[in-house]
Amino acid sequence: MLPVLASPLVQQAHTTLNPASPQARLVDRLGAAMFVTASVVFLLVIAALLWAAFRRRAPDTPLVTNVQRERPMRTAVLLATGVTTAILFGFLIFDVSVGRTITTNPGKEALQIRVTGHQWWWEVQYRDSLPQNWVTTANEIHIPVGRPVVFELVSTDVIHSFWPPNLSPKRDQIPGDENSLWFQADSAGVYRGMCAEFCGHEHAKMGFLVVAEPPGQFAVWLAAQRDTALAPTDALARRGKDVFLASTCVMCHAISGTPAGSRVGPDLTHLASRQTIAAGTLPNTRANLTGWIVDPQVIKPGVKMPPSQLSGPDLVALVAYLETLK
Amino acid sequence: MPARNFASTRYSGLNEITAANIAQLRLAWTFSTGVTRGHEAAPLVVGNTMYVVTPFPNLLYALDLTQPGAPLKWTYKPDPALASQGVACCDLVNRGAAYFDGKIYYNTLDAHTVAVDGKTGKEVWKTKVGDISKGESITMAPLVVKGKVLVGNSGGEFGVRGWLTALDAKSGKLAWRAYHTGPDKDVLIGTRFKPFYPQDRGKDLGVSTWPGDAWKIGGGGSWGWISYDPELDLIYYGTSNPGPWNPDVRPGDNKWTAGIFARDPSNGEAVWAYQWSPHDVFDHDGINEQILLDLPIKGQTRKVLVRPERNGYIYVLDRTTGEVLSADPYGYITTSKGVDLKTGRLIEVPEKATRTGKVVREVCPAAPGTKDWQPSSYSPRTGWLYIPHQNLCEDVEGVEANYIEGTPYVATIVKMYAGPGGNRGVLTAWDPIRRKAVWEIKEKFPVWSGTVVTAGDVVFYGTMEGWFKALDARSGAELWRFKTGSGIIGQPIVYRGPDKKEYVAVLSGVGGWAGAVVAGGLDIRDSSAALGFVNAMKDLPQATTKGGMLYVFALP
Amino acid sequence: MCLRCRRRAGIAILLALVACKREERAFHGLPPANSLSKPPVREIDLIPGTPHRPDSVPNPYEGNAYAVSQGKTLYNAWNCSGCHFQGGGGIGPPLMDADWIYGSRPENVFESIAEGRPNGMPSFGGKIVPDQIWQIAAYVRSMSGLLRKDVAPGRDDAMQVRPQEQSTTKAKPVQSAIPKSAELP
Repeated sequence: MLPVLASPLVQQAHTTLNPASPQARLVDRLGAAMFVTASVVFLLVIAALLWAAFRRRAPDTPLVTNVQRERPMRTAVLLATGVTTAILFGFLIFDVSVGRTITTNPGKEALQIRVTGHQWWWEVQYRDSLPQNWVTTANEIHIPVGRPVVFELVSTDVIHSFWPPNLSPKRDQIPGDENSLWFQADSAGVYRGMCAEFCGHEHAKMGFLVVAEPPGQFAVWLAAQRDTALAPTDALARRGKDVFLASTCVMCHAISGTPAGSRVGPDLTHLASRQTIAAGTLPNTRANLTGWIVDPQVIKPGVKMPPSQLSGPDLVALVAYLETLK
Repeated sequence: MPARNFASTRYSGLNEITAANIAQLRLAWTFSTGVTRGHEAAPLVVGNTMYVVTPFPNLLYALDLTQPGAPLKWTYKPDPALASQGVACCDLVNRGAAYFDGKIYYNTLDAHTVAVDGKTGKEVWKTKVGDISKGESITMAPLVVKGKVLVGNSGGEFGVRGWLTALDAKSGKLAWRAYHTGPDKDVLIGTRFKPFYPQDRGKDLGVSTWPGDAWKIGGGGSWGWISYDPELDLIYYGTSNPGPWNPDVRPGDNKWTAGIFARDPSNGEAVWAYQWSPHDVFDHDGINEQILLDLPIKGQTRKVLVRPERNGYIYVLDRTTGEVLSADPYGYITTSKGVDLKTGRLIEVPEKATRTGKVVREVCPAAPGTKDWQPSSYSPRTGWLYIPHQNLCEDVEGVEANYIEGTPYVATIVKMYAGPGGNRGVLTAWDPIRRKAVWEIKEKFPVWSGTVVTAGDVVFYGTMEGWFKALDARSGAELWRFKTGSGIIGQPIVYRGPDKKEYVAVLSGVGGWAGAVVAGGLDIRDSSAALGFVNAMKDLPQATTKGGMLYVFALP
Repeated sequence: MCLRCRRRAGIAILLALVACKREERAFHGLPPANSLSKPPVREIDLIPGTPHRPDSVPNPYEGNAYAVSQGKTLYNAWNCSGCHFQGGGGIGPPLMDADWIYGSRPENVFESIAEGRPNGMPSFGGKIVPDQIWQIAAYVRSMSGLLRKDVAPGRDDAMQVRPQEQSTTKAKPVQSAIPKSAELP
């Protein structure tokens, strides 16, 4: 993961402490309030403890119960309990109100995105009233800045949890059930997200990117994603396409515009337009892509993709073809 | 042609066999086809010869009716590719042959159409019309209209792109091909196209009602029946289910699957179209037979087509415009609440729709619908339809859909069982004018055979146990029955022999989708076997065994 | 610690280790097809000249519950279930019964998948790596109870439509007398 963090792809570290959406900011504020309050309470308790420890009874003084003298102490204890309860109730109200605020219906103009968790990658689908405009991609979610985005969260295998920390709290993806979540990004940027529920071998390498961009840029991106893959023009890429269709690739991956239509693995129609491969594990470069195809088990042991059995020239052609899938 | 006439009434004008003398009806002769898969075909009688097409390997036998016992004249073997057995969804059936101008035309499972000389049995031409490596096969009986052989593909379970093709009857050359998905120029939608409902109007709806390029693998074949109205010069035929069955990967109306087309037979141009089940989520193919009638409706005689549809309704459409005049249920339905006659749309029940990862129970009618391919007949004497059908419900769950060329593309798990009442089969006599059932016969197993009705007011049909039955066309009372060797799923015919006597013939040989448990030797412990039909047919192996025999009956 | 206690502890650890092996996950497994030359596939037990070399190749995945469960996932993902359904058959023959048209041994099943069979079984060789074919072959054999009970899968991801592979009674494989398809007269 370190190379990704160090790379210019992600501008900020993925953290809840650097919120980039109103939702994350509310949660951050709640967290900060809790932290400050808890810190103050902690310091007070420690102070009280120290005070009690040092203000001990003089030796040889008999233990006499003096109701008169104990009254203020009892009052103090009651008061402390009352204040604690009040703080907890305060938090409860704060927490519920934050919860309610971030789950309120974002309204009709919200963008709908369906994210399906798979072992160990994310399927991303942009829906539209016109079926022709549906877009399926993987591991990289583009969103327009300033517009609410509703995520429908589902899973087809085990429980995953969708979590872009800078933008939103986490939400579980449960097989056979549908969860949802919404947020809106305040400023353009690339934010990293991850799976927040242990889901098997490569749980740690099940990442994704949220690319928040100005609405105009987003619209251009979405329109480009709607296109089917262009037929390759040069001989090498043409051969690469034949390699793709004639080998094991076609059993799991789809490229629209070709007969490849399997949904076991990520849709590759616009693979070359994505910044990372292997679910946010590696930057999408020729070297990484080639290495990944040769033996994904080295990079992500246990991943569902088997090592390839391609010859050198076939591999070169295949990578050349995949690089045309812009 | 198997449907007797262009209007597909399956009504025979012969009246020698009647309720009064049918008790004497007895076996005249038999013929073994030597094949033991499901025999869905109708024998074809032309002059003094009977032609019989078998299931895969699609042999064509010519039997000499002038001789006692109808000896074999010749056999034609088309040698279809063995591999085609791997792309036939529901047993290796064939629904029969057509005759035109001295030649017999029929289709082979490996997606070829052949023309065979009716006298000599020599092959005149053989044209490859589809590609089995893409999942295409052909099981339907062709129809010859104006010198063109009309052929459609099967493979809605294999992600094919459906089409209807016209071949020149003389040469076998492709005259036109109309796809059922994709851009208007492929669907042969042009200036003459005037669908009745607004949702069917617009440019390239066969593309825009699908996500991405899903229309290329969207199913919508045409493996059922075609009717022809010579006066309007239009052919009518239905399109099959969209693929895959799991609807989550194909949002939209999925045009023009699970619908009907009216086309000009000379160039294939579409004149109108209508979808029985837009965005079908139950495998409710729209390929059933349409019977062309002139019926008095609201005081005026209208040219209609009557369609007992898979989704559970008997539709009456104006066949000049495609307007739905009525749609009435003829079975138990939980999947929809009727048809909105204003918009022409089926009123769906969203809770019953197939979904990925959710088991939906009590989905009625099940995937084979209230009625599958088995053709009805119509008697002008009673004015009623005799509809063989089934009463099945199912539990269904969608799973991940992976299109891999040449393999099934269904992505649902189905488990069928008997509908209310427990009887899996029904034969309904339906009055299309009063729009209700006159009488019903309940059968243990689905009535998977066709029916035929005669001017002697007798209805013939077969059961999957192997009984060949005759009913009084007016009362529905059983008049006669004969136990054949295997379950009957064929189309009975009535013909006049060279000796001028009336004969009744039917193929016995269980199979088809309903009988796959016997024909394919399937294991009844798996409820989802044969697309879930096995669960409803667990007791069929006790009731019948495989067979392949032609039975011909006559009065003594 | 007493001797008996030690022995008990030893047995417990040993049992635990055995259980681990059943779940061992090798991501660079080398099943037989990768290393061995192709064995003859016998669809009949009539072999001229005795004695003959035993030709059955063990499929190491048949003792590995993880590999078998992967095989089950792949069986469904790659549309094996489209023809054979959950073992009852439909377009293709049943896989949960005792009848085997092309032999029941691991290498027979491997060959059926890799090379295809003439009556409609597609050839998946080159489209599925041998490693995964062996996983699918192991699962296919589990359907008719030919694998150990503790290795065979015990649940479905979708609607349960058949008895679990674990509880399927072991069927003694027989060469099917009547071919299930291609009944040419």
